[in-house]
Amino acid sequence: MSDIMVDQTHKPEETAVPNNLLQHQRQQSVRENAEYEDEELHKLLVPDITLLPLTPPSAVESNFASYFAPDFMKSGNDQYVYRHANGLCVVGLASTHSAFKDKGGVSAVDFNVGKSDRSGMKVTGKRKKNAQHFESNTALCKVCTNDDLYIVRCCVKGSLLEVNERLIKQPELLKSSADREGYIAIIMPKPADWLKAKASLLSLEDFKKLRALC
Amino acid sequence: MSNEVESVQVSDVTEVNQLSSSAAVESHAGSCDEEMALQLLNEAVRSMPNHVVKALLSIGVCSRCVLRIFGTEDRIYCHPLLSQSMLRSILEEVTGFKSEGNFQICSICLGILQFCYCDDKETMVKMESPNDMALTIAQLVKKEGHQIDGFSLEVSVPQLILENESSLLSGMKKRYESEPWFQERLLSKCVSVKDVLKFAITKPLETLLDVKSSSAGCFRIRLTYNHKRASDNSVERNQGFKRRKIGKENGLHNVNDEPVITNKVCSDYSTDETICVTRRSSNLLQDQEPSEHLTIPIDKVSEPCHLVYLCYRTHIYLCGRYLKYSRNVSQTRWIIDEERMGEASVEEIIGSNILPICQGDNYKFHAAGREDIDVRMLGSGRPFLLEIQNARQVPSEETVNEIESKINGLENKLVGVKNLKVVGSQGWTLMREGEAEKQKQYCALVWISRPLEDEDVQSISLLNDMKILQKTPIRVLHRRSPLEREKIIHWMKIERIAGSSQYFLLHLCTQAGTYIKEFVHGDLGRTQPSIGSILGCRAEIMRLDVTDVKMDSF
Repeated sequence: MSDIMVDQTHKPEETAVPNNLLQHQRQQSVRENAEYEDEELHKLLVPDITLLPLTPPSAVESNFASYFAPDFMKSGNDQYVYRHANGLCVVGLASTHSAFKDKGGVSAVDFNVGKSDRSGMKVTGKRKKNAQHFESNTALCKVCTNDDLYIVRCCVKGSLLEVNERLIKQPELLKSSADREGYIAIIMPKPADWLKAKASLLSLEDFKKLRALC
Repeated sequence: MSNEVESVQVSDVTEVNQLSSSAAVESHAGSCDEEMALQLLNEAVRSMPNHVVKALLSIGVCSRCVLRIFGTEDRIYCHPLLSQSMLRSILEEVTGFKSEGNFQICSICLGILQFCYCDDKETMVKMESPNDMALTIAQLVKKEGHQIDGFSLEVSVPQLILENESSLLSGMKKRYESEPWFQERLLSKCVSVKDVLKFAITKPLETLLDVKSSSAGCFRIRLTYNHKRASDNSVERNQGFKRRKIGKENGLHNVNDEPVITNKVCSDYSTDETICVTRRSSNLLQDQEPSEHLTIPIDKVSEPCHLVYLCYRTHIYLCGRYLKYSRNVSQTRWIIDEERMGEASVEEIIGSNILPICQGDNYKFHAAGREDIDVRMLGSGRPFLLEIQNARQVPSEETVNEIESKINGLENKLVGVKNLKVVGSQGWTLMREGEAEKQKQYCALVWISRPLEDEDVQSISLLNDMKILQKTPIRVLHRRSPLEREKIIHWMKIERIAGSSQYFLLHLCTQAGTYIKEFVHGDLGRTQPSIGSILGCRAEIMRLDVTDVKMDSF
């Protein structure tokens, strides 16, 4: 393209370079520029496969610190607390919970325990108005299997921000992915309360050792 | 009564007109020489009722106030070379008034029109002529190193002055109403203190700074007068009125007013003033009885006003688009517990390279949306606006191009800049326009828990304008309202990666405000649907890049 441009200037006797030719060249150069930029962009986007792990850490593993409460208030009541860097705690049943040992799995999850229906409260605003303050032993919900009834508790003292309402319609989520879509609730503890709770919780390592998991 | 009140308001509004339209004013007041000025002044004074002038002088009204109250034509008393003493001696000569000798601060204008004030070192300063005052101001402007091509002069005076003036005018009316001259020289011609001051020093300033003045200038010269007596009483008088503080001694250094606000101050002021003035005057009317002498219930003051000079340029704006090549650079300065997050910030890299060239006081960085610290901003870049406060110099196009090259040529290659240029305040509207509505394009590196099939690629590409519901992601739930937000995914395209069956690139275009990371991994099922739920497996997001922020105006 640039060659053609040079050639033209060597012919001063010609009155003018035909306009459409110049315009075409300009358009072409714009297009080529755009394509070049796209290519450069693409190079930045494609990763080096050799640097990627075969199985990457999950979102939970990357963003949360996992803690466990074995036999919380009752034997077999193993619960987890995933704590995010921003202080929020996701609470749920550990895979070793007695409820999962029953045949037939989980039939129902009921948030109507204690004095109120936990699924009914509405927390609003940045300041989390109307959030109920619970103790670590406050009941969150009832988990029903064919054989038995289990009470799930907070494990951490704090404000209840949210319960996983999906469990009401889809209790099977609890068995299939207790550590992800089957979480029970999200709690916001005060920093001091967290430190107290943390003291009685186990790390993933210690919990595995305790339950002799691989 | 209403006449006096009106005159105050009217003169403020018509100040601009008077400055520019009246050719007669120009020829007499500003540009004639001293001798001519003295002559004109003599004539003017002789035409005023002597006994009234004497009465005013005897109650401590200064020469310029006397002259302005009568609305002396052509404002000859504003001539830059006419000094205090000249004015005074002419008045005394014509009327036969003998002054006490010591300099007295005017009971009406509190020394402002005598060019007498307390500076910031608490020293009393007394200037002889408007020219001297203009000189001081011009020196300040030059000292600051401002490069200007115009200026706008703003003056604010204590409200007490207007009250004093009103008392005086109503007192005069009571006393002299019946006299023949009163009708001819209606007191509605009274010119305000602000106007007199501005008129007196604008022309000499124009000459000294070699630029023209205009009411809409980008460079502001602000004179703020405050009086102890005024601020003590004003609290009582103004209960119930929303009143803006007109600059205390300390707070003026961080002026971050938009141009609009300073105008608002003046107009707020006049409404407050008129209301208060009416109140005070009506009280006086009841009290006063007609008497031989002109008595006004104004206390003489022993100290002049405190004056603060301030000169500054209104904000200038630079706009452009930025790119972020690093996954360890935040958009704005981010410090937690005194520790910086990330190794740098876009805001600081751009701001610190522009501020010194503009020689500004401060900068503020605004961008059309934001991305996480670990997300790169590539492609066309994200529009941003950099606000520079009190720039001493406005950079030229060439300089701006140099700045752009400099930033793009930085060794660590963390940030890039495109289309950098200086814009007017319309930059704001341009930015806000695009922010909420526009679509954003991304490229995510996704991993799924099973091998990718051709059907997956196909089914993903068929989803157009798909609605998703996102509960506030857990990672921001601590500082945002717990809400469920509906968002639209406009289109998606999977790009396979050679050598991997479970990793792929997901290109997608979404509505502004969509949380992409949560759309991929599902946020514990709180975003529905998610890539995982669509493909029926677990999906994780490894990396995210923004590839396009569509905004035409930038």
